[in-house]
Amino acid sequence: MIMATSVLVTGGTGFLGSAIVHAVQEQHPEWVVTVLDLNPPNVPKKSITYKCGNITDAVFVNTIVDGIKPDVIIHSAGLVPELAFRYGREQRDHVFNINVNGTRNMLTAAKSSGVKAFVWTGSCTAITDDMRHQYRNIDERWPTSSRSLIYGESKTAAEALVLAACDEKLATCALRPSVLFGPGDYQLIPSVHACIAKGETPFVVGDGENLWDVTYVGNVADAHVLAVENLLSTRTAAGEAIFISNEEPIPFRDFCLEVWKNFGHYPSYEVHIPVSLASLVGYIAELVTCVTGTPTTLSRGSVLDACGTRYCSGGMARKLLGYKPRVGIEEGIRISCIDYAQRLKSSGAVGKLAHR
Amino acid sequence: MVKSTDVLYYAVHVGELRNIIQWQTWHQPVHERKPEQEAPSLAICFEFLDQTSRSFSAVIQELHPELLVPIALFYLILRGLDTIEDDMTISPDEKTPLLREFHNYTEKEGWNYHGCDRKEKDRELLVQFQNVTEEFRKVKPAYREIIKDITLKMGNGMADFCHNAEHDVNCVNTIKDYDLYCYYVAGLVGNGLTRLFVESGLANPVLLERPQLQESMGLFLQKTNIIRDIKEDSDEKRRFWPKEIWSKYVDKFEDLCKPENREAALNCSSEMVLDSLSHADQSLFYLAGLKEQSVFNFAAIPQSMAIATLELVFRNPKMFEKNIKITKGEACRIMMQSTQNLKLVCEVFREFTRKIHKKNTPRDPNFLKISIACGKIEQFIETIYPSQDPKSIMQEPAAPIDPTSKEGKDKAAAAEAKSDLVFMLIAIFGTLFSISCLMLGIAYAFGARFDVAFSELTQGKLSKPTDAGAAQSIIHKYDHGEL
Repeated sequence: MIMATSVLVTGGTGFLGSAIVHAVQEQHPEWVVTVLDLNPPNVPKKSITYKCGNITDAVFVNTIVDGIKPDVIIHSAGLVPELAFRYGREQRDHVFNINVNGTRNMLTAAKSSGVKAFVWTGSCTAITDDMRHQYRNIDERWPTSSRSLIYGESKTAAEALVLAACDEKLATCALRPSVLFGPGDYQLIPSVHACIAKGETPFVVGDGENLWDVTYVGNVADAHVLAVENLLSTRTAAGEAIFISNEEPIPFRDFCLEVWKNFGHYPSYEVHIPVSLASLVGYIAELVTCVTGTPTTLSRGSVLDACGTRYCSGGMARKLLGYKPRVGIEEGIRISCIDYAQRLKSSGAVGKLAHR
Repeated sequence: MVKSTDVLYYAVHVGELRNIIQWQTWHQPVHERKPEQEAPSLAICFEFLDQTSRSFSAVIQELHPELLVPIALFYLILRGLDTIEDDMTISPDEKTPLLREFHNYTEKEGWNYHGCDRKEKDRELLVQFQNVTEEFRKVKPAYREIIKDITLKMGNGMADFCHNAEHDVNCVNTIKDYDLYCYYVAGLVGNGLTRLFVESGLANPVLLERPQLQESMGLFLQKTNIIRDIKEDSDEKRRFWPKEIWSKYVDKFEDLCKPENREAALNCSSEMVLDSLSHADQSLFYLAGLKEQSVFNFAAIPQSMAIATLELVFRNPKMFEKNIKITKGEACRIMMQSTQNLKLVCEVFREFTRKIHKKNTPRDPNFLKISIACGKIEQFIETIYPSQDPKSIMQEPAAPIDPTSKEGKDKAAAAEAKSDLVFMLIAIFGTLFSISCLMLGIAYAFGARFDVAFSELTQGKLSKPTDAGAAQSIIHKYDHGEL
């Protein structure tokens, strides 16, 4: 019997955080959950204590953690820059402050208040944001990159802090999920869906064969619970960074097609744009936005993202955590599209779901 | 026999014709049969082997001498059993005991069977089965036991399904039934062959511990053939597609081949292809356990053919109209690639998996599942043959170009184009040079005075002398010097 009593989840009102809270409560109803987030929850749960505040404030974090004295911290708060800022460096300091300093603050507080287990939400982008390479079936032997995109760099830096903090008293572990999707997703499914209205669905950059990992948010939440259980018992995952995926690599194009299919849209024709041409257009777009000063929408980075191969082997997660994705991609997309259609409907937009 | 349509086909598919010629001229069998040392009954057995199976006969005959005869006879015995099972004219009362006792007949001196329908194409094998039994009794007891054991299990399995059929016309109802049926008629073969390979010391004994891998080999082949043969089987009133699958798309099995149901039938066949694809990675895994080249070839060729066939039938409406098969040129190329090593076989699998993926369409109800299955195969190949090494990335932080990446390929292609250009220029100028030499040589042989022309030119006289006399006097001047 694992004797954990108190769990602090940072970022617990967000997309991933709320899924983690849900998974913790589902699998360990006896655990006491506290959520620390910048924003209050939309619909608060009675069984949860909510604290509002900023993790970049070291004094505040110390006070909060000291007050709760949790056994476990799941640190999932972080900033994923919006797509428009993903390839630029404008938001570097902002992203680093939240993702790296925030994590440092959490670790310091955890150490001083005697936390036993610290699970941190990293990202596969610590490796894969380095666009110079393709990543086929990569595993944990692959090096992280400190020269990539701001998000990946911040995750690399923070991961090093988390793993270095692991000692006899505090067991730490970093999880590196791939791109997430699921109900409540405000980035991936909405932007894929937006292509329908913009008439962009027939265009394929590259050959559309590049495999890519995408992970259902509930599965990543499960992995967090498994990691906590591990750190509180065998500690075999202590000091490790572990890839988490749905173990179903598919081409990015197919993911989009399936989302569109759920909304009853099928591209009536297909145009393949060669990578070199797309890069050129991306470059011109970058120059234009550089001159006009608006954030980039199309860039060489987004072209590389669309046609890059990035998927990992799930071997380590299976071995150390006993992780197995519970929800398959197909089912996950279906759930997510129903959720997004409802959100669109309540916001007054037209988001008709296909009858299946 | 060469058909005129074949001539036309290969006239426009020269690459495939080249494959056929390459295979027939360059392919070196690992081992060769020695017909001159064979008993007459064995020679007859090999004749039957040629008649009953075009595809297997060649690979079997190249097997290691230790396994050549046992596996050839194994094939004939199972073919005999299969012929009885397939013959719908034999009454169940007669058929069932035949199937269940067939393993005993394999050693019975002089045993043969005349009860098959005259139209059954392999009837003659059973009529002259005494040749098989005679040779089978000479096989090493260890091999014989394995073969008999498999024959017993398969005969019983077939009889069970035959028995079911009496009560329910669709004997293969659920996907579970389908898997079980394929296990009896093909999975067991994988099991028997593995035991023969290991017994003879030509394969890794670890394979014995992985029954699922052994069966996947057989299941992958069998399921693919069942999909491909839909038209023929449907015409002959045989049904192997499980009702659990086809009933989602059509009301009656016969409707699958009706033109008005083409779209539904295609979607149905996609689900069948998806089911078959699930065995592909395991069959590659199995091949990794085979060490001896002839055994590897024997196992690998049918697997490669199966993935190619799967690609051929995937979303191909023709399969409901007629029998379709891989062209001979394509088959020769696949055989060439499959008789070397596992890496090349993996390439074949990757190639056809991608082709399947290319044909996949979101309107197919199994669109994403097929996409995931294709991804799984690629990932599996990547696990056994990684195309990248993390060490190389760590050692070379200065943007190494992965040769398999797009940029790597582009670079390589650019370099190749450049060297091509150089060679082309050399060839052009070389040709021009030799033609010029030839022309000058001919002119000289016919009496052209290059010495005269040259020194006149050096004196700046570019135009021809106006009259013949002037020309003559110039030549004369050179012939005798300036006297």
